[in-house]
Amino acid sequence: MTTPAAIQAALRGDNALPLRPINQVMDLERLGAIHQSRLSFMRTLVRRIMRERWQIEPARFELDELGYGTIVYEITTPHKLYSFVLFSDYLSPDERNDRVIATKWDLTMALVDGEVDEIYLEKLRQNVPKQEAGRVDARVFVLSRANRSARNFDYVVDQLASGKQPDVAQIAKVGYLYRTTAVYGSGKLGMADWEKVASRHADFARPFSAEMFVCLMLRNFSLLQAEHIAQHKTPESYNPMQPDIKRFFGIGNSTGLGMAPYLINHPLLINQWVEMRELALARVRVLGNINHRIQQQFPELLERCAVHTAETVTEDEWQTANNQQVLKDLDAIREHTRSGFNSWEALLQWSEVNCSLQGQEMLVSVMLELYPELVDDLEDYHSAEEFQDLDPVMPLQELKQVIENRYQWALGFDFAAEGAKDTFWYRSEEKMEPRLGDIRDEDGKDKEMALGVAYAVRRCYDQLSEYMSEHPEHSTARFMVAQPKLRGIVRRIQSMNRCIYGDIQANLLDREILPMHLLRAKLAFFGVGKFDPRSKLWVRNTMFQGAPLLEDIGRTFNDDWFMPLAPQQEGEF
Amino acid sequence: MHVSMIELKAALRRCFEATGYYVGNYEDAANMILWLEKHGLNGLSELQRALPYISEDRTKPLSTVIYEDSTSAIIDSNGRSALNCIAASVDLAHAKALENGIATVTVHNCHNRMFILKALTDCGRRGISVAAYWQNGSQTVTEHTAAIKAGERYPSYSEAMTTLTANEEDKQALTIICSSRVDLTSSLQRSKGNRNASYISAEQVELNKEHSVDHGIDIDEDLWARINKIGEGVLVENSDRSRQGAGGR
Repeated sequence: MTTPAAIQAALRGDNALPLRPINQVMDLERLGAIHQSRLSFMRTLVRRIMRERWQIEPARFELDELGYGTIVYEITTPHKLYSFVLFSDYLSPDERNDRVIATKWDLTMALVDGEVDEIYLEKLRQNVPKQEAGRVDARVFVLSRANRSARNFDYVVDQLASGKQPDVAQIAKVGYLYRTTAVYGSGKLGMADWEKVASRHADFARPFSAEMFVCLMLRNFSLLQAEHIAQHKTPESYNPMQPDIKRFFGIGNSTGLGMAPYLINHPLLINQWVEMRELALARVRVLGNINHRIQQQFPELLERCAVHTAETVTEDEWQTANNQQVLKDLDAIREHTRSGFNSWEALLQWSEVNCSLQGQEMLVSVMLELYPELVDDLEDYHSAEEFQDLDPVMPLQELKQVIENRYQWALGFDFAAEGAKDTFWYRSEEKMEPRLGDIRDEDGKDKEMALGVAYAVRRCYDQLSEYMSEHPEHSTARFMVAQPKLRGIVRRIQSMNRCIYGDIQANLLDREILPMHLLRAKLAFFGVGKFDPRSKLWVRNTMFQGAPLLEDIGRTFNDDWFMPLAPQQEGEF
Repeated sequence: MHVSMIELKAALRRCFEATGYYVGNYEDAANMILWLEKHGLNGLSELQRALPYISEDRTKPLSTVIYEDSTSAIIDSNGRSALNCIAASVDLAHAKALENGIATVTVHNCHNRMFILKALTDCGRRGISVAAYWQNGSQTVTEHTAAIKAGERYPSYSEAMTTLTANEEDKQALTIICSSRVDLTSSLQRSKGNRNASYISAEQVELNKEHSVDHGIDIDEDLWARINKIGEGVLVENSDRSRQGAGGR
């Protein structure tokens, strides 16, 4: 196991490992090109569940023959007992809407601290199905909802009811029975704050761990419900689903713009995630021994990535082109290493010249996958204390240098250029949904969210330079008294300067900004796959495809569900 | 009603953003109120008193430094609320203390000074000790002090009613003492005539926080509605065009 001191020594100082350069890593397009890895939050959660052999048992199972009703699972971990509560209700097809503005769903769920008695269950029943329109208390720490992928769900039920298995080729197209449309945690709607989850619920004290767990439980329920309905439909012909086909079902997810502001508003946390991924890569580059086992596993993993990518179905031209390019990149890497290789460093450098960003980042994920012993102990270091503290004593000359050194990328934008400030981000009065506007033909610029970090840095730099011409000897504190409007950005600049990687490098106000990169970066840290953009503003994807089933807990586990592949169906060769 | 801490913070941020507070300040203001409430020091009651006036600061001059040397400064806040100016005053004391070991900053014409406790706590966390003292009230004068040691996470706080008469020149003043060398503690003297004196230790402040972490925050429904109503000022009217900006089909 590693320690904070060992991590710090590897990141900074004389004995630091060679990290990839800041400007390379924090470029938004590259962040939008990363893929799931063994440090992704779904992987780390499943590792914990499997290693600790969590006991997950139904405490209440009240489903009618159509699969509607109430389910309560009790989850016993080494530390505590939690309850997962799920309400399944009828939803007419015309009411089914994946947008955040929807008000009804097929399923609604809550993750609760402790046992749930009748009185508390009733309280949940009055509120959980309402989602944003309901209120819960601090015993609850995740709320979520999901909608059926109706066509897929009905197909699977019909197949099982008639004693057949679902056609794997069809699942490969849409690898889930339900899509979750929002997963709320961290204090929303009256729930426990993150501070409580992090300090009281050790099992879920990693970022988004509880939220991921609810999605895993949803995946379990989706399979259980399909089997339950099929069994009641025609008990005489019903056959349960084969476990390897079950494992190929994940949970669908629709992610929209709401995730984008999170990345900008939590720069210290995002930096921490990036630092851990880059540290893992640096460990592999320097310490990753390329022995016979690795020489054998590496091409196998490349092949798996290629098949996984080829099995990814999307109608989006941009994503299709990306996937095609990744396939070419993987071919090129295989060809380049066919007769053996002896240096990750050299291979990485070669990929930077010969592969697309998505191909390069696929190689990074594969490298991490090969060395659990160098990577996995970083999973406990993905949290960050998010204090953006002002350094009041910093001389203004130094502040100016910090901007010039760390924010050269921001100063490099020409904000006078056409389109450079055309986009504004705002909250709609409709459920406070984050949206993008164009100043050329939309009102609301005066209410924009402060996400234009690059432009704010530029303005700060200009005003600082002007102030310094009169008061070059002043401290930051003195500057802040005179220019309190710059307090937010100065505090951010100084705080991010204390990080290795710092801010995401992009002008989010540009007319051509692609929010998709932001969404995809965060989703890759979560560990999703099968990106299927539906516009530049929202993306469908699949969670937990290939992950172990609940019934696999306690059995052998090799943590090998990276880039899952369609199982071979009986009769296939 | 019951809300989580993050809900309260988010609602307060919107409220102050809509009121015209700038980036950095609206987070500070929200954090100052939440900090007091979370630590059992009645942040929401303070807010209730401040709320009718928060929009007035928009037209007031910014704080000005009216005297300064290496170990002290006097700042005129021009009648502003501590919610939008006290953090900068504490930062100035912090910077001077780091340079010279100890520093004093006096702030004049500053309302809602109780909100200094969050800024003071930030200094403690970052290895600087701070003490603050102020008097309040025109009919009955109350006096208040808070202090935190270097490296600590929680301050102590004392208040008492006095028999002092209000002094026009002292009104709305606040003294901040900051040190990188000396651990400052503060409690009110048992002055003759002081009534209802209370001392809340750092340990008690921590216990109050633990309770809030476990259970969240209770807030008066009307106040919650007022905060949210003001916060609606940051929301943009819905339209078909706007829906496209969310990525919907």
